[in-house]
Amino acid sequence: MTEEQPRESVIVEKELPLGPVHPALLEPFRVRFFVNDEIVEDCEVILSMPHRGIERILEGLPVERALLITERVCGICSNSHAWNSVRVIEKGLNIEVPPRALFIRVIAQELQRIASHLIFIGHAMEVVGHETFAMRAFLLREEYMDMLYFIGGNRVHPAVPVIGGVRPRCEISDSLKRVILETLERSERKLRNYVGRVVADPLVMGRLTGVGYLSKEDAIRLHAVGPTARASGVEWDWRMEMFEYKPFTYDYVILYEGDNKARVIARALEIFECIKIVRQALKDLPEGPVVNRDWSPQRMKFTDSYNEAPRGELYHSYSLDDYGKLRHYKIRTPTITSIHSVEFAAKGDHVTDAVVTIASCDPCLACCNRVEIIDEKSGRRRQFTSMIEVIKKYGWRR
Amino acid sequence: MDLLAGVISVVVCLIGAGLAIAMGAVIPGIERKVQARIQQRIGPPILTPGFWSWLKFAYKWPIKPWATIPRFYESIIALGVVIVIFALLITLPPFWGVLGVASILGIAGLLKLEELIYVLAGSVSQSLLSVPFLRHDLAKGGTKLGFRREYFEQQAAFRALKMAAICSIPLYIALAVPFAVAKSPFIADVISIQNPAFFLGGILPLPSKPIFLTVPGFIATIVYFAGYVMLLNEKPFNIVKPKVDLIEGVFLEYAAKYRTYMYMLIHIFTFVLSSIFVTLFLGIPLDPTKPALLALHLALTLPLPVLKAVLAAFSPVLTFRQLYPASMGFTALAAFSLVLALIL
Repeated sequence: MTEEQPRESVIVEKELPLGPVHPALLEPFRVRFFVNDEIVEDCEVILSMPHRGIERILEGLPVERALLITERVCGICSNSHAWNSVRVIEKGLNIEVPPRALFIRVIAQELQRIASHLIFIGHAMEVVGHETFAMRAFLLREEYMDMLYFIGGNRVHPAVPVIGGVRPRCEISDSLKRVILETLERSERKLRNYVGRVVADPLVMGRLTGVGYLSKEDAIRLHAVGPTARASGVEWDWRMEMFEYKPFTYDYVILYEGDNKARVIARALEIFECIKIVRQALKDLPEGPVVNRDWSPQRMKFTDSYNEAPRGELYHSYSLDDYGKLRHYKIRTPTITSIHSVEFAAKGDHVTDAVVTIASCDPCLACCNRVEIIDEKSGRRRQFTSMIEVIKKYGWRR
Repeated sequence: MDLLAGVISVVVCLIGAGLAIAMGAVIPGIERKVQARIQQRIGPPILTPGFWSWLKFAYKWPIKPWATIPRFYESIIALGVVIVIFALLITLPPFWGVLGVASILGIAGLLKLEELIYVLAGSVSQSLLSVPFLRHDLAKGGTKLGFRREYFEQQAAFRALKMAAICSIPLYIALAVPFAVAKSPFIADVISIQNPAFFLGGILPLPSKPIFLTVPGFIATIVYFAGYVMLLNEKPFNIVKPKVDLIEGVFLEYAAKYRTYMYMLIHIFTFVLSSIFVTLFLGIPLDPTKPALLALHLALTLPLPVLKAVLAAFSPVLTFRQLYPASMGFTALAAFSLVLALIL
């Protein structure tokens, strides 16, 4: 719980700590539930287990090489990081991107968003305890991973965007277009059937409905982003602001229930909107080149870019020095802002339900961990987004 | 002559115990196969989840469980295996002559003892997965310190106690229905009203009036099945050991040969509860002296585990928010069937 939240004085009987090694937590983090009997009175999520120092690694690299690293920030939304990374320099140096490349980027992004949402639904069902639905979600995801493989040549890291466009190997031919459209048609039918069955299952819905409630005001106050915020009625999606998405007609999924059910359903409904976008992009795919090589690395002032990753708002920013080397790279992933909102939402529920609530923000920990320094004397704390800040303040190897 | 009868009884009991172990080694494989097929997977070989996993853990490097009373914690799981086998043995014909044992009191008492084992095992176990990490939490930014930390098994023991106190009641009421129909607390009388031919001899004495086919018997069967799943801590009633928070619950700290005992306990218990159902509700006792009847009995013990596997494949874990109303509903249903059994 963050410090600014109002503290209620409840007598906590005991603490039930989960993690950092626990089968319900797919990545290493620690959840401390403060419970009375089985009811969670307070909750504390402790991150910073798998800090990788990505920003430190990026410091001083040639900007073209940054892509290799940024794509590996996350294994689930790799394209979001790669795309946002190139958007920063394209914005900073005014690099023109061919329209065809923009469309291909959108296609890759939306296919990966579907795959990510299906991982979430699979994980949510696993945490709820419904193995069959979990496995079916992962099975459905395979088709989208295959489509990413057809486009980018790799399932997990398709490496579609490059500065100024997309990689030439990611060109979408007519035959590939046909394959993708046919696969979309088939998988959409299966998805509708699957989502219908999940929603119609009284036991699953009984576990999700009315649990982990997060009001719109709390979602805004606690900086929830992406589908987690939209499931609480926050009408915001970065795609509304992105010029790449202007040619497409689709709906933003906004739900007002604010519970775990809404967070699952919001992502399930978003999948169908993603399919709608991919179909339009394939249908209206412009002709022309896929990459603009007419640029060179040069000094660039500090520039930032936002993108709507599958989990929500993704922030990348950096500057370039005179030699085109990266300086002060900062990344803020959606999980680091959303996790505190579900930490708050988990209060008042049964412990087993609270784990579902924590999972309902679709946490992706390995890409969100940052270094935090606490001054023991004053009790002040500071969150660092890059190792270079730590080194500057405290010196090397201190 | 008495000595010969005694020897035969001992042999019958030994065969019964051997069958329980043999079926316990096979049934989990069948369950897993059914679940896997529902989930469009191949699933493990039939003997792997039962027999081979027993053997595998038996040969692992022995790790001492971390418990407050280690000897007690180690022995209680073996005691559990003995109790479930004994719960089966008292339904065998040689025990019918032992007054008071082969009755509803004997079965319900042993099953309740089995439930108590979950509570006792959980109460004394302290898993490594939930040991205090005070400095670790402080270093990583934990702000709340000084709370009593609960071990997973001890939280699971609380849940097991709740299950034993509230959620397993329907099973015991449903268990009483055949005895209410027979108007007697003894298993021999329950068999005699359903299967009089059994006492007349013959190769395959089939029941003429199985309680399962009566209205109260059918309702009690549904409740018995729900109680069967609750007692075995299987989905959707596995709140004692949900992977999502308490992992393996009260059994978390059992490793190596103790894990073999644990698996044996659960797997044999699955068969024993099915066997009790076949004996009491279908009127077909487990009698090793009648091979055809024995084969029929063993075949009829399979539907309950298979149904359990199907239910588990299509169910999430239910919390006490759903379990209490479910338990109350099943209790009402069981009470209704009991009243019907007494009236009809």
